[in-house]
Amino acid sequence: MFEKVLIANRGEIALRVARACRELGIKSVAVYSTADAESAVVRFADEAVQIGPPAAGRSYLHIPSIIGAAQKTGADAIHPGYGFLSEDPYFAEICTNEGITFIGPKPDVMEKVADKATARDLMSKAGLPLLPGTVDPVNTVDEARDIADEIGLPVIIKAVAGGGGRGMTVVWNREELASQYRSTRATAQAVFKDSAVYVERYLQAPYHTEVQLVCDEHGGGVYFGERDCSVQRRHQKLIEEAPSVHLTPEMRTDIGEKAVNGALSIGYTGAGTMEFLLDQDGNLAFMEMNARIQVEHPVSEMITDCDLIQEQIRVAAGEQLSVTQDAVELKGHALECRINAEDPDNNFAPTAGRLETYVPPGGPWTRVDSHCYPGWTVSPFYDSLIAKLIVWAPDRERAINRMQRALSEFEISGRGVKTTIPFHQRILANAQFRSGDVTTDFVEQFMAEEKQLAAATG
Amino acid sequence: MSESETSTNPDQEFIRSVWEEARDLIKRLEGSTVQRFSVEAGGTKIEIERAAAGASAPGAGQPVAAASMPAATAEEIAASDDRHPILAPLVGTFYGASQPGAKPFVEEGDFVDEGQTVAIVEAMKLMNHVKAGRSGRVSEILCKDGDWVEFEQPIMYLEATGE
Repeated sequence: MFEKVLIANRGEIALRVARACRELGIKSVAVYSTADAESAVVRFADEAVQIGPPAAGRSYLHIPSIIGAAQKTGADAIHPGYGFLSEDPYFAEICTNEGITFIGPKPDVMEKVADKATARDLMSKAGLPLLPGTVDPVNTVDEARDIADEIGLPVIIKAVAGGGGRGMTVVWNREELASQYRSTRATAQAVFKDSAVYVERYLQAPYHTEVQLVCDEHGGGVYFGERDCSVQRRHQKLIEEAPSVHLTPEMRTDIGEKAVNGALSIGYTGAGTMEFLLDQDGNLAFMEMNARIQVEHPVSEMITDCDLIQEQIRVAAGEQLSVTQDAVELKGHALECRINAEDPDNNFAPTAGRLETYVPPGGPWTRVDSHCYPGWTVSPFYDSLIAKLIVWAPDRERAINRMQRALSEFEISGRGVKTTIPFHQRILANAQFRSGDVTTDFVEQFMAEEKQLAAATG
Repeated sequence: MSESETSTNPDQEFIRSVWEEARDLIKRLEGSTVQRFSVEAGGTKIEIERAAAGASAPGAGQPVAAASMPAATAEEIAASDDRHPILAPLVGTFYGASQPGAKPFVEEGDFVDEGQTVAIVEAMKLMNHVKAGRSGRVSEILCKDGDWVEFEQPIMYLEATGE
């Protein structure tokens, strides 16, 4: 096992990783920019190194400074968290060259997974279901038109190197296909420095379903059920839950086994997530694989009683997974709300500022993953996540009620600071959300309805 | 404290020497965590009280501004006297000379010009030259070859000259 792990991240995930290290008896090293000198993880970790100014490019993304901090402190492994350098094969390679273990997949595997076309190709070969469409990049307008004719409109044109909802265009009319093909390629080139695109069927209202897995270096792989993350706004997840109410136990086992087999087939090691779209007829289609621990991992932990970060660290150290598939039993239902410093009434604009009041909820089966405390300043330099509020209950309805109770306890205030708490409360009270029939277009519709209602009563 | 004008006072010399002593003490406390210091000799007593570290963090209710984010930096600390710290530009290893055995870039007591290389901070085999932000006399070098430094860690002090 590692002696000392450096955490190349900030905020709640840095603290989450440091907590896992402490429980495993591993020393932790926090790195921080000057904006984060007073952060919770700097206080909690065994050591801390100031690595740069607030701008991430010169601190959390600055590889020489991170490696330097690891060498200064003698860390034998680096946990990248999510975001920042977590999916950078180049960084993983440098770690390896410097004799430091990167806690994640091997660089060549990361590279395969990061390229959406390659990932789709490999997963298709491994037996995972794909949406009708191409696996290889589409190189001409004629080719794109042929594919659209074959699978039927609407189709979606996606940048191979895309992500985060950028570099994709939905084509509804055959006449617009040519211009949209060209503009998507141009955007892809401009944003991702790679003009390659592919075409596949567009599902208007799917469920976002993702399978959590961890693989070790001994050929072991375990899936930890799935999460439903359909409550999202512009591809930013707001509420996540586990399990999905739309999967039968048979579907769950089938897709879980396929996901693990797919991961093992490419030599994947560490924690990862396979994202799928699920249509109204119960068809799952592989979208992409995320080669990192994800923000919403706690909901899977809550229903499986497994500490995914600890498993991740364990397998990176060359040990076997501490659980077998048979031992992973899904229990009850978990929900997570992302409490962001954003103003839901102003297009979710970030509202940085000092938290005068910060009183997190407590009580039974209530978990708060956060780096915040009274007096902490939510910085404009980084993401606006204040806390992840996670609850567990024996079933979905009780989990929703518990979440409502916990949200009502959560006190956050500060000059200019707004949070997404009221928005979450309104969604949780919504009849359609409570029914469970929530697809990826739910938030958009919900907001449109609220606007209409406000106009009618206003 | 204010420097009183002393013209014909017979105790002029004495006051000046006490003042010099106090100034020296303040300087020596720089960077330490000492908040209160008191020394008594004969009928003379010097008491020094310093602000707690971090006391210059953003005030309550202040809107967030980039510049006000970091806690007290070395620059802010050093601003209390006439010394100017030269800070490490990144995390890395400090070297005072271009190669082992070579003449150091600067030594204590040397005068440097603005823009002159005073040290190297090595990060992943890249030699980053650290340059003096202003001219002055090197009053103290805080690191020795091979020391690991953090971002903005003071590596030496300059004393202003000719002002």
